[in-house]
Amino acid sequence: MQKTIEGNFQSEIIAAYHEKNFETPVIGVTGGKGGVGKTTVAVNIACALVNMGYKVALVDADVDAPNAAILLGMTLENSLDVFITRPLINESKCNSCGACVEVCRLNALFLPKDKAPVLLGACNGCEACLLVCETNAIHRGKKTVGKTYKTNRGNLTLYTGELIPSLEESAIVVEKLKERIFQEAADFDIIVVDTSPGAHCNVIKALQGSDSVITVTEPTPLGAHDFELILKLLDIFELKGTAFLNRADLPSPKDAVQKIAQDHNTTVAAELNTDDLLIKSYVSGDPIVTMFPEAASAITFVRLAHEIAQEYLI
Amino acid sequence: MKLCVSSTGKDIGSWVDTTFGRAPYFLIIDTETMDVVEVVENTAATAGHGAGIAAAQLVSDKGVDGVLTGYVGPNAYNALHAAGISIFEGASSQETVKEAIAKFKKDEYHKASAPSEVPPCEPGRGKGPGRGMGRGRGKCRRP
Repeated sequence: MQKTIEGNFQSEIIAAYHEKNFETPVIGVTGGKGGVGKTTVAVNIACALVNMGYKVALVDADVDAPNAAILLGMTLENSLDVFITRPLINESKCNSCGACVEVCRLNALFLPKDKAPVLLGACNGCEACLLVCETNAIHRGKKTVGKTYKTNRGNLTLYTGELIPSLEESAIVVEKLKERIFQEAADFDIIVVDTSPGAHCNVIKALQGSDSVITVTEPTPLGAHDFELILKLLDIFELKGTAFLNRADLPSPKDAVQKIAQDHNTTVAAELNTDDLLIKSYVSGDPIVTMFPEAASAITFVRLAHEIAQEYLI
Repeated sequence: MKLCVSSTGKDIGSWVDTTFGRAPYFLIIDTETMDVVEVVENTAATAGHGAGIAAAQLVSDKGVDGVLTGYVGPNAYNALHAAGISIFEGASSQETVKEAIAKFKKDEYHKASAPSEVPPCEPGRGKGPGRGMGRGRGKCRRP
C-alpha cells in the first residue's frame, strides 16, 4: 500500500492531476506573492472574454480572503455549506475497544474506562475512527467549515469559496469549490481560476486541471523570490503557461524576474505599467476592461483574452 | 489512593513537572505506603495535537484515582473528569514529588472543579550555583 512519491508513481499522480472529464478549457491565475494583482488579472481577463461573447466561469479559490466579488461589484449568492465529518458515537453499539482513540492522530477522542469514547479535542474530519470501528458504532455527523457561492451576472458566473475564519480546513473548501464548478463545467466556454498567494496545497488544488497558468508577478525582490517558488511548483506539476509582469514601470530592475522566467521556459506574455485608471476601476468595483476600455491596461487584458481565445476557443 | 503525579524524572525525589499533558513522566504512587507503584513515560508529551487528552488516556488506563500537578488544560480536564479521576492543581516546580505528596496528604492542594482559564504563573526554579560574593565577617587582623 505505502509507496513513496517517486518514479512511475509520481507520473501517475501528475496524470491524475491533469485529468478532466469535460472539454471546457481551464486557465489558472496565480503568482506566489500576495498583492501582485492576481485577482485583477483574473477578473479582467474573464470580463474581456465575456465581452467577446463567451460564457465564462470565474473561480475565486482564495478561500481565506475571497474578494473577486468586490472587484466585480457583486453580492455573493447561492451559497452551499461545506462540511467535514464529525464522528457521532452510538454508545449502545460501542464495545469500548479503543481502536478509534488509538488511530486518531489529533488525539481528539478519549475513552473513559468501559464506556464509549467522547470527542474532546479538535477533529479534522479524517474519518480514520469510522474505518477502524469494528462494531460500526461511529457515524458521520457534520461540521460546517465554510461555504461556496455561485453568483451569476449575464455571461459571467463567479464561483467563490469561503472558509470560516479561524478554521484550518481551507484545502477542503478549495476542493469542494473545484468540485462544484467542474460538475457544471459543460455550461461554460471557459473557466478562469484565481488562486490564493503562496505555493502550498491550496494553490496546487486550485490549479488542478488547468490547461494553462498565468503567473502574475512584479519586478521587486519579493516578487522575484515568490515568482521563482511558484514556477518551481508549476514545474513539479507539469503545468505550462506564461508570466504576467505587473507594475513593470516600478523603479526596480526587471532582469531578475526575466532571468527566472527564462530559466523556467516561461514567456513574459504581458507587461503592465502602473495606471491611475486601473486604480480607479479597482476602487469602484468595475473592471477596467468595461469601465475604461480605451486604457492601456484594458487593451493589454483584451489582447491576452484574444490570445487565450485563439488557443483554446476557436 | 493511587495518585498520579506529573514529574520531571523517574523517582520520587524528582521535581514536579507543573504541566500535566506535556510532563515527561507520571509517577503513580500509593499514598498510604508512599510506594511508587509505577513509572509511566508520557508518550503524549511530544504529540503535535491533543497531548492533554492522550496523557489523560494514558493515566486513566492505569486506573489512577487522582492526578496531582501544577495545571491541567481544558481538554485534559474534560477527559479526566469524564473518567471520574480527581484533579488536584497547584503543585509547584520547586518541590519534589515526595514533598508534593506530603503536602497532598495534609490537604494543601485544592481539588479542581472546573477547567482553569489560564495556567498559573510561577517563578522558575533557580538551578545555577550562588555567585560567591559574600563578604567575610571576621575581624580585620592587621599584620
